[in-house]
Amino acid sequence: MSSKDTPPATFTGNPRPCVGPVLERARELGIRQVLDADGALAGDLPDPDLPKQTLLKMYRTMLTVSAIDARGWKLQRSGRIDFWIPSRGQEGSHTASTMAMEPSDWIFMASREPGTMLARGATLLQLFAQFFGRAEEPLKGRRLPLLLGDRRLNIVPCMTIVGSYIPHAAGAAWAAKIKGDDTRFIVYFGDGATSRGEFHSAMNFAGIHKPPIVFLCQNNGWAVSTPNDRQTASATFAEKGDAYGVRNLRVDGNDPLAVYSVTRQARDEARELGPTLIETVTYRLGPHTSSDNPDLYRRSEEAEAWRRWDPIPRFRKYLERRGFWTAEEEQQFLAALELQLDEAVHTAEAMRQTAPAEMFDDVFAQPLRSLQEQRAQMLADLAGEA
Amino acid sequence: MAQMTVLEALNAAMAHELQRDPEVVLLGEDVGTEGGIFRTTEGLQLRFGSHRVIDTPLDEKGIAAHAVGMALYGLKPIVEIQFSGFIHDAFEQIMFCASKYRWATGGMYTVPMVVRAPSFGGIRGGFWHSQSPEPYYLHGGGIKVIVPATPRDAYGMMLAAARDPDPVLILEPVPLYRSLRGEVEDNGIAVELGQADIVRAGRDLTLLTWGPLRHDCLGVAQALQQERGWDIEVIDLRSLVPYDEDAILASVRKTGRLVIAHEAPVSGGFGGEIAAMVQQKAFGYLHCPIERVAPPDLPYGYAGADQFYRPNERRIRAGIARTMEFQI
Repeated sequence: MSSKDTPPATFTGNPRPCVGPVLERARELGIRQVLDADGALAGDLPDPDLPKQTLLKMYRTMLTVSAIDARGWKLQRSGRIDFWIPSRGQEGSHTASTMAMEPSDWIFMASREPGTMLARGATLLQLFAQFFGRAEEPLKGRRLPLLLGDRRLNIVPCMTIVGSYIPHAAGAAWAAKIKGDDTRFIVYFGDGATSRGEFHSAMNFAGIHKPPIVFLCQNNGWAVSTPNDRQTASATFAEKGDAYGVRNLRVDGNDPLAVYSVTRQARDEARELGPTLIETVTYRLGPHTSSDNPDLYRRSEEAEAWRRWDPIPRFRKYLERRGFWTAEEEQQFLAALELQLDEAVHTAEAMRQTAPAEMFDDVFAQPLRSLQEQRAQMLADLAGEA
Repeated sequence: MAQMTVLEALNAAMAHELQRDPEVVLLGEDVGTEGGIFRTTEGLQLRFGSHRVIDTPLDEKGIAAHAVGMALYGLKPIVEIQFSGFIHDAFEQIMFCASKYRWATGGMYTVPMVVRAPSFGGIRGGFWHSQSPEPYYLHGGGIKVIVPATPRDAYGMMLAAARDPDPVLILEPVPLYRSLRGEVEDNGIAVELGQADIVRAGRDLTLLTWGPLRHDCLGVAQALQQERGWDIEVIDLRSLVPYDEDAILASVRKTGRLVIAHEAPVSGGFGGEIAAMVQQKAFGYLHCPIERVAPPDLPYGYAGADQFYRPNERRIRAGIARTMEFQI
């Protein structure tokens, strides 16, 4: 064993040998790209030639996601929020695919997509109020940090069990088709979710009934500690669509322009051609969650090798090349962003927490008498009337 | 007024809702062309189209999950699970998705869907075709659970389920589907959920039940009036979530004796919950312990065994006698 392969001091597991980024073989593996690793045109998909304003919104959103991630870690590690679900490395995959949808389209979230909320206009304050679980954020402090959503933005929060909600999105899309509406849908999930029965249910039904939906599988390489080759013997996640008659493709998930292009096309064709399964090949640079230690199952060299494909510097180089962005603008943007984050954290943390009576709300449309009795009893007991 | 079987009453109610509300859709295995394996949905696809009465793949989880999505978008799906013994694959979808969306989204999203599950035994169907799965669905909130046992209730409660703003699980009485006929007026009037039906008034003992046992219990009560002079009040609870606490308490305060008969195994069955409620709220009125007549904690028997696994007349009589003759 060479010194390079020596396990870290915290090693207790059996991390598998380092696998290089599959994006290095993108062309050979049929992973569609607009950009190469250095943000130059790769010569595969054409540059969608998006307006400068759209490109800058996409990039600034990605920078904001990255900054939120850094801030969230600090809040979690200092005990101010309970939990954290990192999104570092996956900013491009979800931000670009969200922006490829129209505002009236429905989005079903997973848990690593704060950029989806931001791109639809959610404020930093709304996000941080959710992270702090405060009573007056739209989800009323009932969910772990980052399990986001907002009906006003046509974003459905996920039912937290991985993959359980994929057919909810497909069923909603099917309903829109039955009603004759023009609404399109996108649903986010990860590589691990494709092992769940609901993924297969959704593919099977969608192949038959052709709902207008984009199934967006963000393949970040790892389902907690389980790598792709322990999740499936299929060569790709996309090809699972073949068995169900669902058209599918793989795209470089760290190339926002490629993600935008293929998602936009799938979206635009969804009414006529039905569903598309898109596998965005990306990488989770951080741990699974704040409760995870990736040193147990993967070697740090693997994440280091993927940094060359980090979507943020890659996209920045493209923007700089086109003269849309400068180092100075970046510095100014990040400095202003830190102040906005300070403000959002400060304000959100000061918001009130859920009162005991409030957890009884929203179980049924009209509260059952039994629940009203249980609430009254609990409030009396908590007030110490005995 | 028309005479209908339970099946015909359910069919009439669904047809009424499909006609009245363009958002209503039916989906399930074989519900379209065939009209369901029991023929509950017979003729509905021909009348309302294959986009509203939908034959699905054989996938209970997938059926329930797609219905959740349909309901989120504003349709009113009525799902048929072919037998309640097959519903367990859909449990997560029903109990951890459909019934939790309202709460988990701060009230932003709701899932008003109906799950129909043909249930109950005594049909020589064996374990997987004879189940009473209600206890699993009474725990944790967010879904109503109802059990009609007459043609009139089948009609009125199906209408109520289809118009409810929350998910509703309707356990249909397979043993009564064709065997029971009664007057039903197809008038579009729903039965208010959460109200028990006092099947027979009485002074000496309260016999509480739901589902097909309603009819067994009534027969036993009538016989014991003749034979022993015991005046037994029979209550069909009809709706388990929400349930009619007032009717139970009023009856027990009058009779001082309670026997609960149900088809789900005794431990963790809803009878235990009712007994706990009654001893808390009517402790001073009870003359004797509350008796449960229910199957043992076993899989449903087949062939001859299903005639005594399910509370039969003899077992119900025994439970009543133990209660009436109780001595401290």
